[in-house]
Amino acid sequence: MNQVVAIAVNTFKETIRDRVLAVIVVFALLMIVGGIWLGSISLGQQGRMMQDFGLVAVTAFGLIVAVFVAAGLVHKEVEKRTVFVLFSKPVSRAAFITGKFIGLCGTMGLVLAGMGGFLFLLVWLVAGDLSGMILVAVLMIYVQLLAIIAVTIFFSTLGSAILASVLGICVFVAGQLSHNVLSLTRLGHNAVTGGLSWIVYVIIPNFSAVDVKAGVVGESTLAWSQIGLWTAYLLAYVVVVLALATLVFRRKEF
Amino acid sequence: MSEAAVRVSGLHKTVHVGFRRRPVEILKGVDLTVGPNDVYGLLGPNGAGKTTTVKVALGLMRPTSGSVELGVNGLSHVGYLPENPYFYDYLSGREFLGFCARLFSMDTAARRRRVDELLRDVSLEKAADAHLRKYSKGMLQRIGIAQALINDPQLVLLDEPMTGLDPVGRVEVKRIIEKLHERGKTVLFNSHILSDVHELCTRIAIMRDGIVVWEGAVAEAMQEAATLEDFFMRVVTT
Repeated sequence: MNQVVAIAVNTFKETIRDRVLAVIVVFALLMIVGGIWLGSISLGQQGRMMQDFGLVAVTAFGLIVAVFVAAGLVHKEVEKRTVFVLFSKPVSRAAFITGKFIGLCGTMGLVLAGMGGFLFLLVWLVAGDLSGMILVAVLMIYVQLLAIIAVTIFFSTLGSAILASVLGICVFVAGQLSHNVLSLTRLGHNAVTGGLSWIVYVIIPNFSAVDVKAGVVGESTLAWSQIGLWTAYLLAYVVVVLALATLVFRRKEF
Repeated sequence: MSEAAVRVSGLHKTVHVGFRRRPVEILKGVDLTVGPNDVYGLLGPNGAGKTTTVKVALGLMRPTSGSVELGVNGLSHVGYLPENPYFYDYLSGREFLGFCARLFSMDTAARRRRVDELLRDVSLEKAADAHLRKYSKGMLQRIGIAQALINDPQLVLLDEPMTGLDPVGRVEVKRIIEKLHERGKTVLFNSHILSDVHELCTRIAIMRDGIVVWEGAVAEAMQEAATLEDFFMRVVTT
């Protein structure tokens, strides 16, 4: 446990001190501010536009951080041979993967809290909307990104950092569309296609079960029980993916 | 500690390289025994298999066949300095040693005490709070030695510990190794600097093409040649 905490703290320091992260966050904040202009040209929908646009910015920049940082976490340690120092000490591969994941989750939490808090304040100050649902939505985006971090770490144990980043983004996009994959399994008359669609549906994290943004802007109602179940599902998904990443990483030699 | 600090028996290691996964046999049956409290020098030309032997001993690589037994109870009692070490450049020297101490579950007070002690031993007190990216090669080598000793290990494995050090740094590292020997620790190190090996080691093994071609006390080697350099050249070229 001590090893996990040590690696998590070290990963947090590594990622938070990265200047590229600061640049990404500044861009995200600028884009959120850009929502004011977008809101001003919409007719009586300023608050809604700002929220919608702001949440897209939070998701997009959060995804960039999740995928590109997670892809480099394991890879960099192997490439720069810092793993020699770690694994010559009583550090298991499971502790390494878990610590790396938790460390980046901490950074991601801080980044999203900053972006979400900024969006919340901006919408309140400019449009006068005091919507706590923005913060709920940011929390749900965070849970989605945790799954993407886990998936990207898994891919980075298999191949290069670039491949892991690309596959991480693909899984995110596929996760948003997973309800369509489920529809395929119901529509298909072909057992093979239906079976394959079902397998894809199970493997890909289901991000479309709860439409957070629609809930925030009032297009649909979000039930807390639904959110709770979905969060529990994604956290279980993270555990399974990290276990697989550990299994793959255990076989690596340095 | 049991009879031997490190016992390597019939160690083979084959790796597969390239697109066609061509097998390359790096270790072809290494046998060597490092006794407790030995300062043991593992010598050999580049590509002889010295680093691979150490990596297998640490579990960084798996043996194809054969075995490595460490006479200590797990990696908690082992210290290791890799060759040309690279550390986390976003951490300061103090933070890095603190991180390594945490990996051994040291409590805060013990951690601080040990970090300060080691920074003093490797003469890095003044640079302790500078980021590692600002360290010279010699300073990195010294912080690497410090991290290898963070847990006060019974067995210390050093891969080319003198590389990149200026004469002062070399003397300091030699003193550290001597001090470890005096305190009853076992030290195994790889080196190409034969004068250092002569000065420090009690026993040596010479490797060539994945096998140990000679193993024994330094005194024995010196009976067969005028200098260790002459002896080494004779062993590796015949």
